[in-house]
Amino acid sequence: MMADRRRVNGPPSGTRPAVFTADLQLGASATDRAQRQRQPSELRKIFLKTGLIPTASGSSYLEFEPSASLAAARANPKSLIPPSSALKLACTVHGPKPLPRSAAFSPNIVLTTHVKYAPFAARQRKGHIRDSGERDLGVHLETALRGAIIAERWPKSGLDITVTILEAEDDRWWGSAPDSHDASWGMMNVLAGCITAASAAIADAHIDCLDLIAGGVAALVADESGNSAAGTTKLMLDTDPAEHRSILSACVVGYMPARDEITELWLKGDSSKASLEEGDDRSGHDALIDGAVDAARGAHTVLAEAVRESLLRIVGQS
Amino acid sequence: MSNQRQASSASQVPHLSPAELSYLYTSLSLPKTPIRPDGRSPTQFRPLTAETNILPGTNGSARIGFADGTQAIVGVKAEVEKTILSNETLASERGAGPEPTDQEGSTTAAVGGHGSWVQMSIEIPGFRDDDALPVFLSEMMRESLVGAVGTDENSDMTGGLKGRLVINKRWHWRLYIDVLLLSQPLAYPLPLLSLTTHLALLSTKLPKLKSQGEEDPFFDDDWAVAEYLYPRSSPSTGAKISSSSSRPSFVRPPVTLLVISVGENIIFDPNREEIAVADAVLAISITRDTQAGHLRLLSIRTVDPPSRLTQPGVPNSENVNMLGAVAPTDDIAVLNPVTGEEEVPGVWRPRRGGAKRSVISEMVKTVLKKGGVGEEVLEGLEGVEVS
Amino acid sequence: MPLDTSTTYPLTKLRLDGRRWNELRLIQAQISTNPASSGSSFFSMGNTSIMCSVHGPAEGRRGDASGSAGGAGAIVDVDVNVAGFAGVDRKRRAGGSDRQSSRIATTLRSAFQSHLHTYLYPHSTISIHVSVLSVDGSLLAAAINACTLALVDAGIPMPGLLTSCTAGMSGSASTPQDPRNNELDPLLDLSLPEEQELPVLTVGTTNSVPVGENNMDTDEEEMKVAVVTMDSKLHCTYVETMLAVGIDGCSQIRELLEGVIKGSSRA
Repeated sequence: MMADRRRVNGPPSGTRPAVFTADLQLGASATDRAQRQRQPSELRKIFLKTGLIPTASGSSYLEFEPSASLAAARANPKSLIPPSSALKLACTVHGPKPLPRSAAFSPNIVLTTHVKYAPFAARQRKGHIRDSGERDLGVHLETALRGAIIAERWPKSGLDITVTILEAEDDRWWGSAPDSHDASWGMMNVLAGCITAASAAIADAHIDCLDLIAGGVAALVADESGNSAAGTTKLMLDTDPAEHRSILSACVVGYMPARDEITELWLKGDSSKASLEEGDDRSGHDALIDGAVDAARGAHTVLAEAVRESLLRIVGQS
Repeated sequence: MSNQRQASSASQVPHLSPAELSYLYTSLSLPKTPIRPDGRSPTQFRPLTAETNILPGTNGSARIGFADGTQAIVGVKAEVEKTILSNETLASERGAGPEPTDQEGSTTAAVGGHGSWVQMSIEIPGFRDDDALPVFLSEMMRESLVGAVGTDENSDMTGGLKGRLVINKRWHWRLYIDVLLLSQPLAYPLPLLSLTTHLALLSTKLPKLKSQGEEDPFFDDDWAVAEYLYPRSSPSTGAKISSSSSRPSFVRPPVTLLVISVGENIIFDPNREEIAVADAVLAISITRDTQAGHLRLLSIRTVDPPSRLTQPGVPNSENVNMLGAVAPTDDIAVLNPVTGEEEVPGVWRPRRGGAKRSVISEMVKTVLKKGGVGEEVLEGLEGVEVS
Repeated sequence: MPLDTSTTYPLTKLRLDGRRWNELRLIQAQISTNPASSGSSFFSMGNTSIMCSVHGPAEGRRGDASGSAGGAGAIVDVDVNVAGFAGVDRKRRAGGSDRQSSRIATTLRSAFQSHLHTYLYPHSTISIHVSVLSVDGSLLAAAINACTLALVDAGIPMPGLLTSCTAGMSGSASTPQDPRNNELDPLLDLSLPEEQELPVLTVGTTNSVPVGENNMDTDEEEMKVAVVTMDSKLHCTYVETMLAVGIDGCSQIRELLEGVIKGSSRA
């Protein structure tokens, strides 16, 4: 590997900030885990606006409401590290445009999806080349959207959908050791955001869809309230992974309310041990899917409103 | 080739005419008794040949060949690596104070293992290894591998595969799983790759550790005393567990099954033509829960069905060449009760939309139910002689 | 003292793995291993094992067929993939291919492009996929042998079997050969430790299968060298010895391969 001698590079693997023993005793209060303030079925507020990028044929910007702990930490800073992060992402749609001459004939629109974290999006810096997680998200998004777009209306055309994630959801609380639960739960929230934003951007680009498709997340988390027996689990909608000590299983769906159909389902984690509330005899995965669908229905109302707004804006311009 | 790349997750779009697709769909969606092109029952897998420990240079390896000639080879290699300790672990150690020098209890509790210690790469001819299909497949299989957590408190596998890779606080194994598909995939290669990976992991051995506790690890040179990555149960391994009373305490790697729904039917291990007409395609990862004696669900992913990319057929009523040749009553669009779309019988239309929740729930249930396909597959794999 | 061939050979006249100078490693070969391809083979020399499959001759891709080469005859397309678990240490790859495998692919392509009767298949592509399962020296030679077997299995016409083998010297061989006091011996079929330490040469030869009147002739005169590669430095007086040993090894392998091919056609 050629070293770049024109500038002074930092160490390749980064450094660790010094930790002083004094901080360790005092720091207990500053590094308190964020707690979920919302009801189990209460979603975070979503900001969604379309048409912000004029060069693209369709675009949208989506932001999740920061959790209460983040707002509290900003008002009264005890530590320089924010306790949690909130999703912010931008989506652009280019097309429909003709396929290159070399491409084979396609009777349907050819969809390409590209999901990229900005280098500063997560607590750990992301490289400029897409890693396997980002490529994986791209495939998930493609699966979700392909079911919603009426593809045969544009033969021989291509549609590029690019999602840039400006701030990603944490996979866990930053303070907990990486092995506490290292599955990438944050990616599921990111995917739900990507689906909702991409749907708005596609509507903004005036591409025919069966319905506006919305993403939703639900998770089974270990109950930490303390008043119930240990080992019980709770179904939570729209979970922020930083707020929970242990997520057993999570699910994200891409959902079309008008047809009551799921185009994308991604469920992981072990839900067999989950004991749901009294009188709920659904199996863990069914409850998760239903929960995620409920979350997606919530996101759909925002989505519909955002699309209506953008329509009014266009009508107003002409 | 470029066409294949575009149809990323759906493998390839088969070159079937709309008429063929429609015929296939009709026969597969016959209520209760689907007719598959190769005469299998809906839950029947394709015949396969399997062998393990074929490569002496690896820790574990397996080869599976399907009767249609597609073959996969999986090699597992393990390397010792230094664990990077985080500040928090250091802090907690310091906080615990110097008294517990004998860390018998804390080693098992503190170290949980990390999912990134398992690396998976899939090599498919005709695809670059950062193309969508290999990436999607490897992420799918890796997530169920590292996600599986043991249930038995006393065995080595308490923390699942992740926990097994921990040597001590400062050292761990890193597992490389390399999957090699030897020919271009004729069908969606997931079942083949998943079964082969399962067998390779079953045959994987790690050298026996001679050092103790927090020493730098060193190992027994004798390969004959090496220990299986997935420990064997003490009685005979091939024993079929018919009742959960014997309750053998062993953990097995997960398997990922490919399930499609066509009409109201649920079909397993689809071949290339069958998946081309699927309404919905799910990849479901399961493992056996040794204590409860039933199967556990580890992950579900939807796979983009290739049927969305197929070419539509033209009904006679819209075909200019057929004007006046048919009575208008010949083809009247009827509502397909499953997809909710208006369709002319016998005229193929690419699938649109997704799957109903009831369909997904039914597909999962078929996999998980007692005596269902999941158990059948795991028992079949158990029967493969692992030497 | 480190155990290597250059120190132990003068004392024992045995190589590191116990072979004499002119012995091949155990060769296992099989054809028609993969029914999904037009032709396939498995070939192993010692611990080097390779699976090879051939597809085609099939219609070339649109871009290639209009090219200059495609019109006259088939294009041989070779893809070499060294599995991550093939070596002793797991190899970390960037982007799917490395220098070693692309070099082997280039050598295979040029060797078989000129060897096969490609003029019989204009506007077609013969694609060869080589999967290296484990590496223990003589990789290129083993790949050539595996490809030959797979191409025979695919029924692609060629004038004779193209077989290959490596040859080396039992020392660094940097000074001129002394005919009176020759302490260096040539070695046949080098393994990985030998290959890294000693000068090594890969040679591939072919012979035309005698037909008709020439049937009774011995094929010595018909033998042609098709591939020679050497990367190491040695004094030029040794090259002839090494080539002679290598060519002899190729003939031995050819007999083995012929046995495999004939055996399988009977079955």
